[in-house]
Amino acid sequence: MLRAFVYLVLGWVLIAVVGGLADVLSLTIMLPATSAVIITHAAFSAGTTVHFGLAVAIALGYLEDLHQGAPIGTLALAHGVGFLVLRWASGRFAITGFVMRAAAGLLAALLIDGLTLLVLLVLSDPLGVPREALWGATRVLHWHALATLLVAPPLWSGIDRLLAALRLDDRPPQQAYWTGK
Amino acid sequence: MAVSLRSIRNGALIVVLLGIPVLLLRSSTQDPHRMSAFDRAVRRIGAPLEAAVSYSAGMLGAFFERWVLQARLQDTNERLAGENRELRQRLRELVHLQEENQQLRRALQMREKVPEDMIPAERVGVDQSPFFRVVNIRVDRGSEYARPGMAVLSPDGVVGRIDKAFDDYSDVMLITDPRSKIAVELARTKAQGILEGRTEDSCTLEVSKDYDVEVGELVQTSGVDELFPKGHPVGQVVEIEPLVGDQQRLHVVPSVRFDRIDVVWVVLANAPRPDPRSEPGGAVVQARGLQPVQ
Repeated sequence: MLRAFVYLVLGWVLIAVVGGLADVLSLTIMLPATSAVIITHAAFSAGTTVHFGLAVAIALGYLEDLHQGAPIGTLALAHGVGFLVLRWASGRFAITGFVMRAAAGLLAALLIDGLTLLVLLVLSDPLGVPREALWGATRVLHWHALATLLVAPPLWSGIDRLLAALRLDDRPPQQAYWTGK
Repeated sequence: MAVSLRSIRNGALIVVLLGIPVLLLRSSTQDPHRMSAFDRAVRRIGAPLEAAVSYSAGMLGAFFERWVLQARLQDTNERLAGENRELRQRLRELVHLQEENQQLRRALQMREKVPEDMIPAERVGVDQSPFFRVVNIRVDRGSEYARPGMAVLSPDGVVGRIDKAFDDYSDVMLITDPRSKIAVELARTKAQGILEGRTEDSCTLEVSKDYDVEVGELVQTSGVDELFPKGHPVGQVVEIEPLVGDQQRLHVVPSVRFDRIDVVWVVLANAPRPDPRSEPGGAVVQARGLQPVQ
């Protein structure tokens, strides 16, 4: 429960940080999907149950909806489904090392962007969103994914260290979290 | 394959959790004019949360903005400080030039007013006598032009006279020098006397008690000594000291600040006397003398 709360608070802070930095540095496209990294971490963490992880993912998606001005529920649903996919993947793959974390961040961002696009395409008529505009947005998704790729390894290590500091980690204490091993 | 109750419960919980965003999406697709109570509740809950998210992003944005801008401001500050130093230096030079310009203008105006034959000279040094506590100035005119005894004037008044003339420069004995004696008169009462130097910034003048002298009265050259042109300001009476007998001693402060002199005029020759045969009221022709230094 506390672990889920930490994910949620951290996700909120990171949404605000990215939004603030984007405003200061005038960035509009190449912004990392920090929530995608957090739910990937939660999905691949044995200490997080599916229910709490899903709740965290939906809550973070809801915050992203509010922050990005998307139709409420779009990103919440995409994050929720994305978490389930990532959770399924965690039973088949293991993420170790900086490269794997970066790749996981990239794929998670692409997954959530794809799910979001899917939701919006399905609901484009009732939401009043032109489909041409949605297809046009796909041309800049790689920048979003690339930014997430760059941010994922340090953010992942930061989450590990934070959870270790709060004694919420699910790894043996002798393992050094910041080494990425 | 038997499905456990735990699996059914987990699946139901996942469906319920995923149902939340679906309901939220359904609410988003509703017409704002025909919203149900649930949709209105969703909007009502979302509004403060949206405000909180925006506020937190804005607050952190302001923090980063300050952090990033601080570095930029530091660079700007250093650049502006450099420009400021440069501009201050230029301002000092301009003020100096302005003062010099004003003095030169006054010197030129004086040249127009005084009919005597004069030559401009620039102060090039200051001597301080250890015996008389008097400052003597040195001008850039040597014996080619200047002769001992020649009067030295400035736009503010009488400076003194040439004491020694060398090849390239001359020493000026100021009117405050104890050796200095010049013929003066009071501007108002026309009481005449000899002004003698006393100290670094003071002279004295003895006149008859018959004259009603007031403090602040202007003292000017009388021209009797045929050395200084008549009517040129010398100083101001600051103190009246009665003496035994029928004399009174007037303490006079020179009108010239000797420490601020830059350009002076050396009187080479007195103006020619007016021609008694000329018609009265005719045009006054001034002595031309030498031209001012360019």
